[in-house]
Amino acid sequence: MESLMKDRIEQLVNYIMKHCLWQFHSRTWDRERQNREILTKTLEILCDESVMPEDRLDRCHWVDAVVLAESYRKHYPWINNLSTVEITSLMKGVHARIDFLTITGSLNLELTDEHY
Amino acid sequence: MAYHEFDCSTCIPERKKHAVLKGPEETLADALPAGYLSTIPGSISERGCAYCGAKHVIGTPMKDVIHISHGPVGCTYDTWQTKRYISDNDNFQLKYTFATDMKEKHVIFGAEKLLKQNILEAFKAFPNIKRMSIYQTCASALIGDDISAIAQEVMEELPDVDIFVCNSPGFRGPSQSGGHHTICIAWLNDKVGTVEPKITSDYVINYVGEYNIQGDQEVMQDYFKRMGIQVLSTFTGNGSYDDLRAMHRAHLNVLECARSSEYLCNELRVRYGIPRLDIDGFGFEPLSASLRKVGLFFGIEDRAEEIIREETARWKPELDWYKERLHGKKVCLWPGGSKLWHWAHVIHEEMGVEVVSVYTKFGHQGDMEKGISRAEEGALAIDDPNELESLEAMYKLKPDCIFTGKRPGEFAKKIRVPYLNAHGYHNGPWKGFEGWVRFARDIYNAIYSPVHQLAMVDISKDEIPTDRGFVTRRMLSDKNLGEEVRNAPGLRQYTGKFDLIPDLRNKTAKDYPYLRQDAPEELEQQETA
Repeated sequence: MESLMKDRIEQLVNYIMKHCLWQFHSRTWDRERQNREILTKTLEILCDESVMPEDRLDRCHWVDAVVLAESYRKHYPWINNLSTVEITSLMKGVHARIDFLTITGSLNLELTDEHY
Repeated sequence: MAYHEFDCSTCIPERKKHAVLKGPEETLADALPAGYLSTIPGSISERGCAYCGAKHVIGTPMKDVIHISHGPVGCTYDTWQTKRYISDNDNFQLKYTFATDMKEKHVIFGAEKLLKQNILEAFKAFPNIKRMSIYQTCASALIGDDISAIAQEVMEELPDVDIFVCNSPGFRGPSQSGGHHTICIAWLNDKVGTVEPKITSDYVINYVGEYNIQGDQEVMQDYFKRMGIQVLSTFTGNGSYDDLRAMHRAHLNVLECARSSEYLCNELRVRYGIPRLDIDGFGFEPLSASLRKVGLFFGIEDRAEEIIREETARWKPELDWYKERLHGKKVCLWPGGSKLWHWAHVIHEEMGVEVVSVYTKFGHQGDMEKGISRAEEGALAIDDPNELESLEAMYKLKPDCIFTGKRPGEFAKKIRVPYLNAHGYHNGPWKGFEGWVRFARDIYNAIYSPVHQLAMVDISKDEIPTDRGFVTRRMLSDKNLGEEVRNAPGLRQYTGKFDLIPDLRNKTAKDYPYLRQDAPEELEQQETA
């Protein structure tokens, strides 16, 4: 079961790394915000929760989340059969892995530059 | 992933940290090429300088501007007309380049008077152009000429002109990327917010990091306008100086080349609260997702879907014709910066080619993160390669074609590897749905060119076949294809025009019904009055 979950997390992470650009903003604080906002909204959309963006900055995150959730449903149809609890656990794993690859484990030396 | 040492660079051990082989089960946390560092002495780089990055890449695509270099004439000549960023005002910015032509005596005695004289002469010679960008060079920077003071003097004497000063001499950074950074921040600090624009739609964007190579910007602008979106400014291809001064009034920054201009979008978000949406204008799927995102942002996604349906139905059968014939061909994706990640996954998925190497001349580590993530396993990623490393990579990887600039392109041809110009394109535009088919056609034409096939024969040692006559690309490409593919009824070669841009420029307001429909009421009233 644990191995299945790990495999599924990797599939979803690979999709993001190959097809998305939002996780690669240039600084740590931007990547933290992007990953948090977009993946949280993706989780809510996958769980059929109503997501109401607060302002236009938030709406931009929502846009990426909508397209990601649709892609997940299309390319990984098994996600449509998961319960809310399972999706939550799955997306928590995705978030942690994306944070690792793009922030905490990243070898990009520019991430901590104070200026843009 | 493992760092890769080139045989030719063992004498420059620092180079080992600049190349990585993407291995199985490995991640970006295992290895990442160093990037955006000064070129190591002894390594003959193919990079441009920071002045070139500021002037040639970013500044000069602005179309209604006199672009003048304050320095030796060679600096401006070498950054003139080598990149095809066309414009819809008869290519003013491509046809003319200006320089103050500094000589040794000016280095000794100063060149501020010379600069002022040149500015006045240029405005007099082109009385319809009222905007100017002045680019500092190494020579004028080292002698300390105060370009801003001279520009201010002229603006006081000629109140109808406006001048932008870009202090990005060649040495201001390790590569042209330093110049991208400098000009972005300078434009933001000095010019954004100094003009209030006329808003003509409820949906307003800045299109950032788009340089209108052979008409890319005009293709994308057409999609946006068909959706009813006002493109307030384009930074900078086919862009207008005054439109770019009004960037602060957009609702959304749509960012294409993050490498050259993410700085601008980041600052526009911080200072003006305008969100940054990164998009891909290349490839059917990425472009479709990008148009959908822009549509979703404004709540007009149905309009995006309409365009995607129409364009896909028109052009997908042509893309697939080329995909069948390009399947499995090996390519090196060796552009300057952003195209290594714009293209790495999608040329594999939509054209069937295998990307065996990605490199960047001036990219940062962030570009490598994107490019390596998108490339397939086995790809060799190289930062700032020298000529010997590029040659070694080509001998080892044996690509069928490389996509790169004209400097490495020339020595690729010498070893009989066809190349396509990733910066200026061959028969672009390559953006948009039709553009993507044109790119596939250019790859097909390069790989299956009978001339290149002949060049593969070494007359000093190879046997010259005498039993074969004339061949065509089609004979070469279809040789091993099954009948069901060769004559597949649903597939066809490119059927578009030689140049698709004139039709876009001939469109009128009636071709963009949503733009009229969405025009704010007050504007409608003004027009009626």
